[in-house]
Amino acid sequence: MIKYLLIRLASALPTLLGMTIVAFAIVSLAPGDPIEQELRAMGIVPTIEDLNALRAKYGLDKPFIYRYFDWMSRAVQFDFGTSIATGRTVINELKLHFPATFILAISALFGTILISLALGIAAVASNQNIASFLRALTVVLVSIPSFWLALILIYIFVFYFGWARLVGDGSLRDLILPVVTLSLGSGAALGRVVYERIRAEMCEDYVRLAIAKGVSPAKILLRHITPRIIGPLATAWTNALGALLGGAVIVESIFGWPGLGQLILQAISQRDFPIIQAYLVFMGLGFFVTSLIADIIVIITDPQLRRKNSHE
Amino acid sequence: MNNFSAKKANPLQKFIFNLKKHSGLSIGIIILFAFALISLSPLFITYIEPNKMDLLARLSPPSSEHILGTDHLGRDVLSRFVAAVPVSLGAALFAMVVILAISLPWGLIAGIMGGRVDAIMMRMADIIMAFPTLIFALAIIGFMGASLEASIIGVAAAWWPSNARMIRALVLAAKEREFVRAARLAGASDLRIVFRHIMPQILPPLTVIISLETASVLLALSSLSFLGIGAQPPTPEWGAMLNEARPFFNQALHMLLVPGLAVTLAVLGLNLVGEGLRHLLDQREPYKW
Amino acid sequence: MVNALLVEGLSLHANGQLLLNNVSFELALGERKGLIGASGCGKSLTASAICGLLRPPLSIATGQIILDGRNILDFSKKEWRAVRGRHIFQIFQSPGTALTLAMRIGPQLIEAAEIAGVKNPKMTAIKALHDVELDENITEFFPYQLSGGMKQRVLIAMALILRPRILIADEPTTGLDVLTEYEILSSLNTMIEETGASLLFISHDLRVVRNVAQRTLVMHEGQILEETQVDMLMQSSYKHSKSLAKAAARLVHSC
Ligand SMILES: Nc1ncnc2c1ncn2[C@@H]1O[C@H](COP(=O)(O)OP(=O)(O)OP(=O)(O)O)[C@@H](O)[C@H]1O
Ligand SMILES: [Mg+2]
Repeated sequence: MIKYLLIRLASALPTLLGMTIVAFAIVSLAPGDPIEQELRAMGIVPTIEDLNALRAKYGLDKPFIYRYFDWMSRAVQFDFGTSIATGRTVINELKLHFPATFILAISALFGTILISLALGIAAVASNQNIASFLRALTVVLVSIPSFWLALILIYIFVFYFGWARLVGDGSLRDLILPVVTLSLGSGAALGRVVYERIRAEMCEDYVRLAIAKGVSPAKILLRHITPRIIGPLATAWTNALGALLGGAVIVESIFGWPGLGQLILQAISQRDFPIIQAYLVFMGLGFFVTSLIADIIVIITDPQLRRKNSHE
Repeated sequence: MNNFSAKKANPLQKFIFNLKKHSGLSIGIIILFAFALISLSPLFITYIEPNKMDLLARLSPPSSEHILGTDHLGRDVLSRFVAAVPVSLGAALFAMVVILAISLPWGLIAGIMGGRVDAIMMRMADIIMAFPTLIFALAIIGFMGASLEASIIGVAAAWWPSNARMIRALVLAAKEREFVRAARLAGASDLRIVFRHIMPQILPPLTVIISLETASVLLALSSLSFLGIGAQPPTPEWGAMLNEARPFFNQALHMLLVPGLAVTLAVLGLNLVGEGLRHLLDQREPYKW
Repeated sequence: MVNALLVEGLSLHANGQLLLNNVSFELALGERKGLIGASGCGKSLTASAICGLLRPPLSIATGQIILDGRNILDFSKKEWRAVRGRHIFQIFQSPGTALTLAMRIGPQLIEAAEIAGVKNPKMTAIKALHDVELDENITEFFPYQLSGGMKQRVLIAMALILRPRILIADEPTTGLDVLTEYEILSSLNTMIEETGASLLFISHDLRVVRNVAQRTLVMHEGQILEETQVDMLMQSSYKHSKSLAKAAARLVHSC
């Protein structure tokens, strides 16, 4: 098992390397010279000579590969330079905003899993009419854009009932609306996945045998079907984390939640490249690691694979 | 006694019967059709100029003059909504075309060639898929500068790899089918196999994917416009309209409802069509317990 | 004679196509009966209907299936659950996919034992495996680690554990070599002798049916043609019955 883990990690390395190259390339290939941008931002109109001197100083006249390794060697020490807009180090900016996003994303993931299981299992277990109502509800929930849902929730709960507030201080109470916004849509989307998965399994012959044996529906679901679908569902849920991290940007901006989303939107409007780059790297890394964990869960729950690995 | 033998139905009757049975699909088709009609309606109906400001009539509720009211600059919400149909939907469709232009050849080549080519191509797709999609799109927009074009490019760049993967999976499944194997053994050329045997097989599931993916692309693009890094004002675009409505929607609910409903309905239409088609293709029924 | 199962005028259709037409037969207590017919004639459909395991688009148009004086077609889900397993059980045609892939064999048998309500489920499971001449360490295996014949015997072991009063065996030996076929059939015979169950043995191969049953139903295109002694089939007035018998005879000679 541990050996397999190492193999899996080793095979992930090229992807990881590729991710850093992509993250680096987006900056270096971006239109507009970062040095020039930076100087312009400071209100200086540089001469060609100044520019060339600065380029040499920052190593920008060197070939791509050289600059990539230079950047990597600093990145592994968490040195992503300084923010053009605030002058603080990029890593400090990230540290400042990361916890809020982390809490939001994890709570939303939790909500997503709960909602998806509830919707999916309810649709499987209920009679035809309720099931088709639930399916219709799911499609509608999936189709509502999160930014609109957020505004509607704000209208109802902040303006109409006054149960929640808009400019919070990042307390747990202020987390409720953002988490609901984020998890409703993705919970519904994954509820559909849960439903489809269970339904697909219910078409299989082994379910027919279990029914013929006289096993109760709950036990068929728990004992026979769950081990078959838990791996794929784990994958789907972690993939949802990717969508939630993206959605967090929108939701944070609407609810004023002080996370990375606020930071990145500001960075985009100020063309604060170092921040954008570091943000891409960190989010990519976080998502990458969770996907890896999901992969491992898939392996653990698949007897055929588990067997192979323990024999290796 | 043979009262349940099949009546001979003509294709049209059959189609209508199918639509009745698949109500989701038919609602989806009707919604999309309605949007197509609305986008063509300026050819027949003259609307108020979508960017014409009337500061005296700011934030006015729906009236006979402005059927859906006006926004914070006194612009007519109805005509902005109508003018946004080709922008919002057009952007999503265009992005989908770009995504397919990359992912279709990518998935086809990887699936058909197999081996090392496949491994390398899929690894490249995996690298981009390892980033959360919207965040990858954000990064690209960040370096290009906010604009509708940048958001289309960003979304396309972030979305194509997962599409390529799905297409490859379809190709692999198609390749395993008996008659494709037979054609291969009979020495048919790769190109011939692709166009005569594989394409017709992957087309139906591909339609499902395209429909559902266009829905998610539309959501992404309107989100980006809502965040102010997609379509820029004064371009009429649903997401951008909602963004502009943010400070005012407490006073003018119609500014919140119209563009929001527009996005939701368009996405719903695409999702219903995708789901409905999927349902048509997969006829397996579960055992009843 | 007391009926264990009575099928009366069963008709079944799918998408407007009539697949079973007015099927009637009975199975006495402890009786073993064959059901033979060419591939696609509706044997498995009959079996599924009796176990209440039809799924759309298949649906029953007319007829009744009487079990203990009650028409099972009127059963609620709960009543069905009470009947399945202990009262009526089916060994399905496709043993390759019948067992739950993600569960070890042991728990799957123990689950059956729990349903049968035995005192020591684990012991019962192991004993059943011995009865079908399988090693008890099989309990630790997943289905993919077993051969087709072994899976088939696991299913028979399951029937042994459940001790149903009516067992339907749907082509339990198809696709197996002659030696395994013989072993499966003797396991099945052991099981029936031990439990005194009634058996409906489905096959398209008369040679196999002869090993377990004296009498057989002949099915053709969704209809029961006749019920006869297996040995009398050659003399049947129906040409389809005759051709089944001839085919079997030819196979025996060519072997
Ligand atoms: N779900 C279904 N929908 C429509 N038709 C079906 C369905 N299942 C079976 N049939 C049809 O019913 C007929 C009888 O099928 P059945 O499985 O009972 O055959 P069988 O006698 O068991 O054949 P075999 O010996 O090959 O197992 C076949 O013609 C088949 O095409
Ligand atoms: Mg059959």
